[in-house]
Parts: sequence; C-alpha cells; structure tokens
Amino acid sequence: MDIILETLSKIGFMFAVIMGMVVVLIWMERKGAAFIQDRTGPNRAAILGVRLAGLVHPVADVFKLLFKEDIQPSGRHRAFYNLAPWLVMTVALSTYAVIPFGDYLTVAGRKVALVTADLNVGLLYILAVASLGTYGVVMAGWAANNKYTFLGGVRATAQMISYEINMGLALMGLVLVFSHTATPGYLREFLGTDFLSGLRLTHLVAGQGELLWGFLPKWGIVVQPLGFLLFITAVYAETNRNPFDLPEGESEIVAGYHLEYSSMKFALFFMAEYAHMVIGAALIATFYFGGYQIPWMPRPVLEAHAGMLLTLKLIAVAAVGFLFALLFLRRTQREKGKFGDLRDNEPRLGAGLWLIVALAALGGLALRPWTLGPEGASLFASLMQVGAFLAKLVFFAWLFIWVRWTLPRFRYDQLMGLGWKVMLPLGVANLVVTAVVLTIV
Amino acid sequence: MAKLTIDGKELEVPDGTRLFDACTEARGKPLPHFCYHPDLSVAGVCRLCQVEIEGMPKLAIACNTIVNDGMVVHTNNERVRKASEQILEMHLINHPVDCPICDQAGECGLQNQYMEYGLYDSKVEMVQKTHKKKAKVIGPQVILDQERCVLCSRCVRFCNEVTGTGELGIYNRGDRAEIDTAPGVDLDNNYSLNTVDICPVGALTSRDFRFQKRVWMLKAAESICPGCSTGCNVRIDYEGSRIYRLKPRFNPDVNRRWMCDKGRMLYKAVHDEKRLTEPMKRSGGELQTLGWQEASETAVGMLKPGRVDLVLGSPHLSLEEAVLLRRLGLKLAGEDQLVGGVAGAEVRPGDDLLLNSDRTPNRAGLRMAGWQELPVAELVAKLREARGTVLVHGGNPAADESVREALAGCQHVLYIGTHRNETAGTAALALPGAAWAEKAGIFVNKDGRLQAFKSSIVRPGQAREDWRVLSELLAAAGEEEAPGSLRALRKSVGADLFPDVEFNLVALPARGVNPTAPVAGGEG
Amino acid sequence: MSFEGLPKGTGAKKASFRDAIYFWEILRGLGVTIKHLVYNIFHTAEMPTMQYPEEKRVYSDRFRGRHRLMQREDGTPRCVACQMCSTVCPADCIAIQGAEHPDSEIEKFPETFEIDLLRCVFCGLCEEACPCDAIRLDTGIYEIAADSREKFIVQKDFLLNNKEDGTY
Repeated sequence: MDIILETLSKIGFMFAVIMGMVVVLIWMERKGAAFIQDRTGPNRAAILGVRLAGLVHPVADVFKLLFKEDIQPSGRHRAFYNLAPWLVMTVALSTYAVIPFGDYLTVAGRKVALVTADLNVGLLYILAVASLGTYGVVMAGWAANNKYTFLGGVRATAQMISYEINMGLALMGLVLVFSHTATPGYLREFLGTDFLSGLRLTHLVAGQGELLWGFLPKWGIVVQPLGFLLFITAVYAETNRNPFDLPEGESEIVAGYHLEYSSMKFALFFMAEYAHMVIGAALIATFYFGGYQIPWMPRPVLEAHAGMLLTLKLIAVAAVGFLFALLFLRRTQREKGKFGDLRDNEPRLGAGLWLIVALAALGGLALRPWTLGPEGASLFASLMQVGAFLAKLVFFAWLFIWVRWTLPRFRYDQLMGLGWKVMLPLGVANLVVTAVVLTIV
Repeated sequence: MAKLTIDGKELEVPDGTRLFDACTEARGKPLPHFCYHPDLSVAGVCRLCQVEIEGMPKLAIACNTIVNDGMVVHTNNERVRKASEQILEMHLINHPVDCPICDQAGECGLQNQYMEYGLYDSKVEMVQKTHKKKAKVIGPQVILDQERCVLCSRCVRFCNEVTGTGELGIYNRGDRAEIDTAPGVDLDNNYSLNTVDICPVGALTSRDFRFQKRVWMLKAAESICPGCSTGCNVRIDYEGSRIYRLKPRFNPDVNRRWMCDKGRMLYKAVHDEKRLTEPMKRSGGELQTLGWQEASETAVGMLKPGRVDLVLGSPHLSLEEAVLLRRLGLKLAGEDQLVGGVAGAEVRPGDDLLLNSDRTPNRAGLRMAGWQELPVAELVAKLREARGTVLVHGGNPAADESVREALAGCQHVLYIGTHRNETAGTAALALPGAAWAEKAGIFVNKDGRLQAFKSSIVRPGQAREDWRVLSELLAAAGEEEAPGSLRALRKSVGADLFPDVEFNLVALPARGVNPTAPVAGGEG
Repeated sequence: MSFEGLPKGTGAKKASFRDAIYFWEILRGLGVTIKHLVYNIFHTAEMPTMQYPEEKRVYSDRFRGRHRLMQREDGTPRCVACQMCSTVCPADCIAIQGAEHPDSEIEKFPETFEIDLLRCVFCGLCEEACPCDAIRLDTGIYEIAADSREKFIVQKDFLLNNKEDGTY
C-alpha cells in the first residue's frame, strides 16, 4: 500500500514539475527570444492588471486553444489522426519515470528513493521510449493526408533514426566509465550494492557525486567531454529543436507534421515539444552534470553543515527579496500612471510580494535554523538535492531556447552529413578510446 | 491632276481638291481646325487651318483654298505655328475652361489642339469672362452650353444642309454671338445627336449620355446598328458590362458619318430589365428558371426528328445564325415547315436619309440564307395545324396579336431569344440568346452589303451566343459537322452561300462587302 | 590532366578547421545573443518597442491618412464629379457617379462617391489631380479598421464628415 502511495506521489510530483516547466518554458522562449532580438515580447495579457512579465500569456493561450474549433481535414485517417498527439504527449511524459531527482527522502524513519521507477536497465528504457516518439510524429504526418505533413513525418523519421544511434553510442562511453566502480560509502546501505551499474540511472548519478583525483567532481562531462558534445547534439536533434527542427521547417513545409492540427490537438503537440525539451534537459543534467548532485557537497557534507547552510540561505533569500522589492519600488516611481488602468498597480504589488518573501525569510531566522537536528538535516539535504536538480533542469532547458535563437537551421543534407559522417565515427572512436583507457587504468 | 509641294513633300492630287485634304494627305494628320467638316460646306470661320502659300502675302486658310498646280505650301513653319497659337488663344478668351464638368473632355477639339499647338500661358487678363447660358435644353436629345461654343457653325450647317430642318442659328455679334435655336423651335429631328458628334467642343452634348461616364474610360467596339435595314456602321462605347452610347462610324457606302437618334437609343434594349438571362421552362403555367444542362436536355427532347412541326426564323438573326438555323430545320423537318418570319412585319415609316422603313437589320441576309417569309394569315394557319414542337428563334413574332394567339395555342413552343417578350410568354421552354452587342455576326443590309459586327460587353446571366446553342442542338440532332467555332461557321457559311465569289467571310473589310456589286468600296 | 587556365572556382574560402567543427562559432554566437538578452533585461526603458494603443507614433503633417471630401460653405461637397481622381488612381479604388446639380452654375455634383479603403494605397495622386481641392488625405487618420469588407467602402456622407476620432 505504501509503495503505491509513494509511487503515485512521485508521479504526481514529476508531472507537476513537467507541466509547470512547460508553462515556464513557453514564457521563457517568447520572452527570451524577444530580449535577444531587442523586443519586449509578450506583455499585454493580464489578470486584474497583473501581467507577471508575460507569464499570463501561456495561460491565456491555453484557454484560447481550449475553446477554439477543432478543424480536421476531410481526408484524414480518423483513428491515427486523433491518436497521434496523445501518443506524442504520452511518450514525452513516460521518459521521466527513470530519472532520479534526489537520492532518498527519509519519511517516518524509512528511506524513500527519489525516483519513480529505479529500473536496472533505465538507460535502455530511455532510449527505447524516446524512439517511440517518432511514431507519434510519423502518424500525425501520414494521417493528416497532406503532402507537407507527410514530408514532415518522413523527415522526422530519417532524422530520429540517424541521431538515435549517435545518442546510444555517446552514452555507451559513460556506461563504461561508471560500470563496476565502487558505490559511495554513505549510499552503500541504501542502494544495497558495493559496485555501481552503468545502466541504472540512480547509480550513474550516485557515481557522479564522487571526486576525481580528490578535487574534481566526477561529472559525466569531466570524464566524457567528447561524449557530452555528441550527446547534446543528438538530444537537440531528437527533440526536433533548432538547429535541427527540419520536420517543421516553416520555410519549406509550412509547419510540418502538425500542420493540419488545430485547437487542443495542436496544443498537445506544442506542449509535447516543450515536454521533450524538459526530458532533454533532464537527461543532459542526469548523465553529464551530476543529476541532483551539488559539486563538492554530497549528502554527508550537506547533512553535517545543514544548520549553517540553512541560515545562510535564509539570509540570502531575505537579501534578494529586499533587492527586488527595491527595484519594484523604483519602477513604481518611474512608471506612475503610464497606462491609466489597473496595470499601474503592478509594480507596487510586486514590491509588496517581494517584501513579504524577505520578511518571511527573516522570520525564519527567528526560529534559530542553526540548531537543526539530524532529521531536519536529512530533509534539508534531500530538498537541496531536488533543488539542485531543478536548477540544472531550468538551465539546460534555457540552453535549448538560447541555442534556438542563436543558430540558423541546418540544411537537410548537412543534417544527414553531420549525423552519419561526423558524429558516428566520433562516437565509435570515443567508445574505443574510453574502453582502451579504462582497460589500461 | 495638280502637283504641289507641302512641307517639302511633293504630291499629286486631283483637280478641285481642297488644300486642307491635300495637307492631311501630306502630313499624315489634319491641320488644326474647328469649322471644317468633310461632309459639310466650307465656312472658313475658325481660321485655325491657316497655311503659308509661297507667293501669297498673307496666310490663307487651307479649307477654303482649292489646290493649284505648282503650289508650294508650308504648314509647320514659325509663322504658321504662331498664327495657329494666336487664333487658338482668341478662341479660348471667353471659353469657361470648365473641362472637369464637361462631357466633351477627352474628345474635345480645344483640349487636343491646345495640347498640340497651344501650350502658352494666357496673355489676356480679364476680370470677368463673358457669361452666357449654360445647360440650356434645346431639344429632346441635346443640351446646349453657349459659353463653351467656339462658333464654328458646324451644327448650323448640319441642320441646314443635311437634315434641311434649319433649327439652329448664330445670333448677335462680337463676344455676345451665340448659337441658339430659332425662337419657339426645338432641335427636334431624328438626326439631332449628330450635332453633338460634330461639335468640336462641349457646347452641344447629349442629354442621354450627360454625366454618365468620362469618355476616356470607355472602350470601343465596331458594330452595326440593328435598328433598320440600312445597317449604319456604329461604334459601341462601353465599359465593363454596360454600354454607354453608340456613335456613328465612317462608311462612305452606307451612312457616311451620320446616324439617326432612334438607332443611338437602341443600346437601352440590351440593358432592358426584361432581358431573358436564364433558361426558363413552363411548369404550372409559370416560367421557371433552370440550368443550362437541364434546359439543353429538354430542348433536345423537344427537337427529336419528326416531332418538329414548324421552325420560325427572324430577320433579327445574323447571317450565320440564319444559315445554321436552316440547317437545323432541314435536319428536323421538311422544307415547307421552315418559315423565315412574318412578311411585312416591323415596317414603319422611314425617312429619305438613313432610317429605312424596314426596321429589321438582316431581312436580306435571311433571304440570302434561303428562308421564305409568309403573310400573317398563312403563318397563323400553319401554327394552328402544328401539334408538335414549334421552334422560334430571334425577334418577337408574337408582337402581332394573331400570331401571339396562334402561338399560345401551340403546346410545345421552344423560343431562343433575348427578351421576356410576348413570344417568350407563349414558350414552353425559352433559351436566353445574346443581344447583338454581345455577339459577333454579319448583317446584310437592304443593298445586299455584308457587314460584320463584333461583340463588346459580356452577356448577362447565363445567356449564350445563339450559334453555340444552335450548333449544340444540331450536334444532338445527329449532324456530325456542327461548327465548333464562329470562324468555322463563317467558313462553312461562305462556302454554302458564295461558292463563286472571291471574299472571306471570316475577315470582312471594314466597309463591308457587296457580293451583288463586286466593285465595292470607293468614295461614294 | 591539367587545370591550367581554368577559373579557380567561386573564390569562396574553404572553411577553416575551427569553422568546420562549429563548436567555437556556436559559442561565439551564444555570446552575442546573451549579451543582447542581459543588456535588454536591465535596460527595458531603451527598447524601441512602442506600447501601441497607449503610445502612438507622431507622424509628419504631410502624412497621408484617410481621405476626406471638402465642403462648400453650405455643406455640400466641393466635388464636381470630374473623375480625375478615379482616372489617376493606380488602385482603381474611387467610384463616382455624377448627376445634374440644381444650380446651373455648379452644374455637376457627385451623386455617389465611394472609396474602397482596402484597395487604396494612399499615394495621394487623387488630391494632386483634383481641380477643385475637393479631396484631401490630410486627416492624419491611420487607424482604419472594420469588421467587414463592406464597411471599408466608404460613401460620400462619411467622407464629407470625416472626423479625426476614427469612428465609422
């Protein structure tokens, strides 16, 4: 019974994280693109004059798409046409099952693993499920019975097949590095093994908490720099994001595979793209940037200094809160009566909110956090790990956006050339060199 | 013959030629002029066509000079140019220059000549130009603006010399001189609108065309007036799907430069709201519209060989249509069941100028195609006997009361026509044909002259060219060589009717051609 | 086989190794974009974007906005329906039907005067061509919106009373 409740709550947590991230990412994409291009971006949708710097726009978009007419082409294959967006979305969501977002959380004396499903072949699961996403895209392209969507689907298939190989090859090096290394002492009891398995994601991340030569975090990027480059490129291609978004290349095939979709079905494709981005970011963070690990601060260090760290954290939050409150107050002065409606209250509201945050943090100090007990310390360590994971997630998701608004799209032959003629040989070489080095060392 | 040199160019013209015409020939374009008109007497009042003749001390007006052997004439030297510029300036002193509201703008002699020979700034400083009566209605068709008049007297000469009615005259002297009708007289003759045509400025304008359209927006199509068997050559001025006016077209063998007012108003029938624009079928006593597909099927059903009792042609058909209808008639019925129309119908008093008493355009063509007309009584008798289909094409034979009654007695009248008239009222099926302005064809006038007319505006609604309808019916009746184009039709008509005569029906000369008098053309 | 005397290709430089592996150039590109981003976050006031309905661009006095028809002192149109404007109009957007004016001094006036604002290209040739200074594009109105195509075809009465509030 407990196990079901645990799993359900973990699924719920991940689902909330992903859906929340999708909204934030859409906002980040629009606002980031705008700032990169010297524009202001979305800033008009408002609830009672509160615009949250454009964060209300995704909400407005959802309502708009919900109430829009669902226009379907007459020549579609009804079943596949309706199934495709759900397939894409389902596949996008199911990958998260094996991604650890912390090592464990102590609940009522029991250590609960912070991963939904700790598969011993988690890495294979990810590769397998990610490739299923292609089916949704191809299905959408074919079922809509439109030459542009069809071309989009065909492109997606070719692209995903080409880059899946590279992705797998790149990860193999990582698996080699972490397979059969000693488990960190503090986790030996929890994981129940003396040696790590390179295919299990929890083990991969646990391994990355160690230090290399006593000072360098043993992150994937440190031990596999070339593997990282190959992997990140393949992930970008797998998620159909710029510079590899040829399946929806606007200038050639209008909108590609989702051209004939409207209303909420289009929204599903749209959200799936961002969900894919979040997986991509999670995978990059998990494989190459230590997942939930904070560098030089594995769980024992965190637990030992929990009280001091919490105190410092509260002080930092208070300081940031005051700073933002001050900035908002300055805007209050500068933009007095700019719009002549409710929107004028926005800076004052922001200043108030940040002030409350800062005061709450100060209030927390009154509880004397430096006297934190061992249970509290364990909880604090878990929360810090989850926080670190989320921070890495946001950063790599932002990297997707950043790259999109920097690079132009590849040409199709360039895309294929890069995949087969550059990355594949490099991946093989990387694997061979890694194996040789590991054998010698 | 007289040999003379004009602007350094030697040419030979017949004795008695006016120097004006010789200059036109030498220069390729006429001298500036207002009062000279080739079909009227010479007045020599506008003084614009002055030329320098070597040996003569002063400039002479070319219109009133007869060529002489050995004349050396300059039409474009400094002296002549200066003279025409100054004369033009004189003409414009009291002209109101209200071109924006003047219907003549765009085809105005003053405008054209100012742009070609004038282009000066006026030297006359006047507080007030002489004002005269504007917008004076002087007849049922013509409106007069005395201010714009340059007193060329063309209209006066036209009324005196061509129609002989003499309604107009020039009254008063000096800058108070003005054109007007004689007291108590209206400019009310059947040719009054010709004065508007020959007026070089906007003094006389048409009441019918007044303010309807600026002339430069109109397109022109060559046509033949369908009003009577004279067959005046006309120009259809149209824009889009609307005809705005008819103008005479020069043909020395038929109408010269004139045309009657009755003919000019014929375009209104094309835009009549009683036009037949959709195929219509009688069901329950009422005519209901239907699509062409269905209408064609019904028509083919009505015209099964042996079911047709009478085919009635019309002198309003073009020559091609008359021939094609006859072919169809012979395919469906016997020779004695083909009737060309009502003999003596549509005859009204004409005049000795252009208007013929026969008010149909193509009676000669109908006969040329082999049709025989019947007197009313005989036609009525034939109609009374008819039990099967009666095919009526063109015209309105039911305008005659007894014919109408006889047609109304027939159960299966198939009418191809342009209007919802009395004949259409008796029809079981009425198919919309094209009016004369909407199709191309050939009319044969009372002298036997074949003259081609071209289509101008688009046909209204679902109306179709008659020859296409006939050709389709002919194909349905089993004819294998039903013509697929007007060109093919004309070729076959030419081969049928004129096997021996050397001319081409596809491209008739602009003046038309008279096969009975092969030496056609020539200044007559 | 000799390539002597043949053209040496397009003259485009072969990509250097640094360019060919993309990596450094991608980093450089990311640097450019992040520079814009960071600068713009802290200098929102410098954005050239205009908050349109609240802020409006100020146009020159010579700006050609929506047309208006000038009135005589008695409020009737100055236009005499000469159709110079519809003749010169490159977009063919003016349709005028003249009619007889009761005053024979004026003689002609526009019975209908229509402008299709969707077709109009606001070139101003109509006001150049007008002999009576009857049509002008000097209202300065550039916010022309309606919810059906028919409403963009404006009539004489509207053009005669074309107010700057932009109401239809």
